[in-house]
Amino acid sequence: MYSFIWRHLPGNAWVKALISLVLVAAVVYVLFQYVFPWAEPLLPFNDVTVDNQ
Amino acid sequence: MNVAATTDDTEHDEHTGALAPPGARRRGTGRIAMAVSAFGELLITAGLVLGLFVVYSLWWTNVVADHKADQQGDKVRDHWAAQQDTGPGALDTREGIGFLHVPTMKNGEVLVEKGTSSKVLNDGVAGYYTDPAKATLPMSGKNGNFTLAAHRDGHGAKFHNIDKVRKGDPIVFETKDKWYVYKVYAVLPETSKYNVKVLSSIPEESGKKKAGKYITLTTCTPVFTSRYRYVVWGELERVEQVDSERTPPKELG
Repeated sequence: MYSFIWRHLPGNAWVKALISLVLVAAVVYVLFQYVFPWAEPLLPFNDVTVDNQ
Repeated sequence: MNVAATTDDTEHDEHTGALAPPGARRRGTGRIAMAVSAFGELLITAGLVLGLFVVYSLWWTNVVADHKADQQGDKVRDHWAAQQDTGPGALDTREGIGFLHVPTMKNGEVLVEKGTSSKVLNDGVAGYYTDPAKATLPMSGKNGNFTLAAHRDGHGAKFHNIDKVRKGDPIVFETKDKWYVYKVYAVLPETSKYNVKVLSSIPEESGKKKAGKYITLTTCTPVFTSRYRYVVWGELERVEQVDSERTPPKELG
């Protein structure tokens, strides 16, 4: 998977490395901004109140 | 003809002899190897994502929440300062009603806002209950229970050190013009998350039978999970007027 992406990135090794970094940053951004905030309430780690439900 | 045939043969031989068998072998084991390595990469990816989730919940949410809480806290303080001249105005519950100081928790001041939904609490504040039992605000002057909740981990983790709070420790609630000084008199280190009785206006589990002015802090326990709830009860000891310099009561000194 990763070698496939690496092979299909344009440019020489430096350009590829740079694009990879950008891609990694983009993935981390999407995870922190959208995926984790969505997943968090579904996981039983952070309920602090007492209630009837 | 002969020559051509030999050439053809050799070419054919070269193709089959030199390329085909290794090619076939590579394709056979190659497929398995590729599947295994793709699976391995997926596992590594999953591990990284889970690791990132831990970073997110234990660090990033704190960064975001502390920033939000600071902003909102500043807004409340500005609001109070602006109201100083015009006298006590209408209570704006949306912005936050005051600040909670628990010196034993070593977390500075915690803004208190209305509601205990995750939307409110995720901003790094403590929320007072509106459901299932409505909190009695200390400003009302009535007997009742000032019930609060805040995160134990992540999102500011305002009640992270709740386990450090002992009987006799002060809890101070600061509003625009009063300091409400409470004293912790009971701690319930573990209770069911359905135990809404801890929020009663007379919390009997804490040993109280008579109406009074109580404060209840709830959060989750053990740390990093939400299996149980941790409850700390306090009773109002005295109320101090805020002076012009906002000199904190001696408990916070």
